[in-house]
Amino acid sequence: METNKKINLKPIRAQKRFNMKTQKTQEFINGYLFLLPALLLLGVFLLYPMGMAFYYSFTDFYILRPDQKQFIGLENFTYIFQDAEFKQAFKNTAYFALLVVPIQMAVALGLALLINQKLKCKVFFRTAYFSPVVMSLVVVSILWTFLYNPNEGLINEMLGIFGISPQPFLTSPNQAMNSIIVMSVWQGAGFQMLIFLAGLQNIPKHLYEAASIDGANPLQQFWNVTLPGLRNVSIFIFVTITIAAVKLLVQPMIMTQGGPLGSTKTLVYHIYEVGFNYRDVGYASAMAVVFTILVLIITIIQRKFTGEERG
Amino acid sequence: MSRAKLFCVFMLMVVLLAACGNNNQETSTDEGSSVDESQAGAGVTELSMWIHQSGEEETEFYKKRIEEFNEAHDGEIKINVEVVMDDGGSSYNDSLNAALVAGNLPDVLALDGPFVASYADAEIIAPIDEYISDEDKEDFVDSILQQGTYNEQLYSLGAMESSVVLYYNKEIFEEEGIEAPTTIEDAWTWDEFMAVAKQLTTDDRYGLNLFMDYGVGEWYTYMGAPFIWSNGGELISEDGTTVDGYLNGPESVKAFEYVKSLFEEGVVSLTPSETQFESGNAAMALGGPWIAVSAENAGLDYGMMPYPYSEVPKSPSGSMAYAISTQAEHPEAAYKVMQWMTNEESVIGLSEVTGMPPARKSAFESMEEYNELPKKIMRDQVVQTAHARPTTPAYPVLTDAFAQAFHAMALGEDAQSTLDQQVTRVERELRRFNQ
Repeated sequence: METNKKINLKPIRAQKRFNMKTQKTQEFINGYLFLLPALLLLGVFLLYPMGMAFYYSFTDFYILRPDQKQFIGLENFTYIFQDAEFKQAFKNTAYFALLVVPIQMAVALGLALLINQKLKCKVFFRTAYFSPVVMSLVVVSILWTFLYNPNEGLINEMLGIFGISPQPFLTSPNQAMNSIIVMSVWQGAGFQMLIFLAGLQNIPKHLYEAASIDGANPLQQFWNVTLPGLRNVSIFIFVTITIAAVKLLVQPMIMTQGGPLGSTKTLVYHIYEVGFNYRDVGYASAMAVVFTILVLIITIIQRKFTGEERG
Repeated sequence: MSRAKLFCVFMLMVVLLAACGNNNQETSTDEGSSVDESQAGAGVTELSMWIHQSGEEETEFYKKRIEEFNEAHDGEIKINVEVVMDDGGSSYNDSLNAALVAGNLPDVLALDGPFVASYADAEIIAPIDEYISDEDKEDFVDSILQQGTYNEQLYSLGAMESSVVLYYNKEIFEEEGIEAPTTIEDAWTWDEFMAVAKQLTTDDRYGLNLFMDYGVGEWYTYMGAPFIWSNGGELISEDGTTVDGYLNGPESVKAFEYVKSLFEEGVVSLTPSETQFESGNAAMALGGPWIAVSAENAGLDYGMMPYPYSEVPKSPSGSMAYAISTQAEHPEAAYKVMQWMTNEESVIGLSEVTGMPPARKSAFESMEEYNELPKKIMRDQVVQTAHARPTTPAYPVLTDAFAQAFHAMALGEDAQSTLDQQVTRVERELRRFNQ
């Protein structure tokens, strides 16, 4: 073997220059072969449907007549601006996102700070706060529907102890979205709490030591050491919560069916209804395209404000 | 590696994938037809069939009947049945739509009554007039034929009917000294109904349950539409081209205002618990045949009364039905399956299993329970006052519009403006079909 190698070495060296290019191609092929499974899945379940949706958005594709679809130009897009339901869904989604993002971040950070203390039952609390995340959102939604029930719901029973009359949490147009916000924060905050916790544990101890030597009180330490230390983590959480928030669907679908009076109808829910229940795939696709562009714009703005390089 | 190159690789992948997809489809259909051919050699026609999965006993019954069909037609026709999930929401229709777009529709399919028109209009299901005998057709109750007819052609047949009756708690009625009507002729008018409902409402009990907890959906239309019909209104014009002046016409507005008053008077709850009627927290309930089952299980002493009316007694109807795909290669064999699944034996058997009223008049004759109270009420309604929901391809939007409006009444919104608003939506959808 040894001798063989020596003999073969020379021709290889001679060919080295010549092989540079083929070797690079080989590397390229190998690299993409490794990527292939992931790219295949991405292609089938993401890129291809996205392309189809883009194409359908310019047609009057009605699901029961797949072979009769016609190109109708921008008609679907112009109708979006006349569609009162779209307008309402847009408002509802914006309202939800504007409230949920800061509240959920604050709650998650609060929980993370609590758990980061030297507590005895740390693991228990961590599990308790994280458990809603593991549960199916559908199950959680159904559970909270029971909790919110005005006649027999746990929350109203408890309010009754303090002499507060039963609240129509999910059946009043003014309260339904707020009720969904509370439930969503409760369900989602556990996940961000874990990320914050990891962020907290990454902040070097000596910074706190230095701060306390400088005479900083705990609050000052929090402002000047903890928060800056969590910057990257916060940006990540901020972006992911925002995207998740604008995609709100399951909670209103299960708990209120978009009601009462459309007060919890969200953009994704509206798109789903138009596409699947009313079979108007063309118009639903157009709304989906607009929705994608909106999310894109939000993400770009967020990156601009938070600094791209580390986000 | 330039971006352009990367993009090319991506696009190539997408194209390849698309090609793969097509290949798969071709091979799968090839397999299908080759099986068909080999079987055809043996003289057996293979049919595919979809049934909906709902109650366990119901599905078992369908399977049993299909097995019996295969035995009876051994060497002739063989049904390959597929049970498709039906969650009471849209999952069954989603599956149908997916199969439709992919071109894989079964030869015989079960579908919900109000959707027959959509599928008939899109020429997905075929008319069966040439196969059904007049005598056989006569035996079906009118509402089943109404629900299955589109543009004067019959497309579907159902094995079971349904109805909504006014259930009442016998104990409470005795305490209050209220006499329950037992025939359609004696049914309560709206005013009488309102008076009784008010009398029965106390601090810890509602007079009526409308099962608003089922959520904004088909139930509201199914249960609530008779209020409009019995007041002389309609949801849609007779030729099916417009809802303007019908859904928001004066008769409909008045009916919706009546519904609104039921909530305003506090006789009915917007958020009833699941077993409000069964546990005695509501004295009456406008409920489907399944309420009889759950009330019995709860040991409640209940009775049935006919649906209250304004001018003409009307009652809800409609249920799952069978139809034949236009893609079916052997429509005659497919009709035999449909006929089998809706013949007297199937109809009676299904009614016994599900508690739903049968779809055939002859079945009513032979089933003892429907000749005496309380189920006699259900029979009288199915035979005399049942009214099918509108057969329009725009039904999905129409029913949502109705349900939204019904819910808005419960929240105390203005009837006229709510209905006008919903009419705009339905009119836009109708334009698609009126062209």
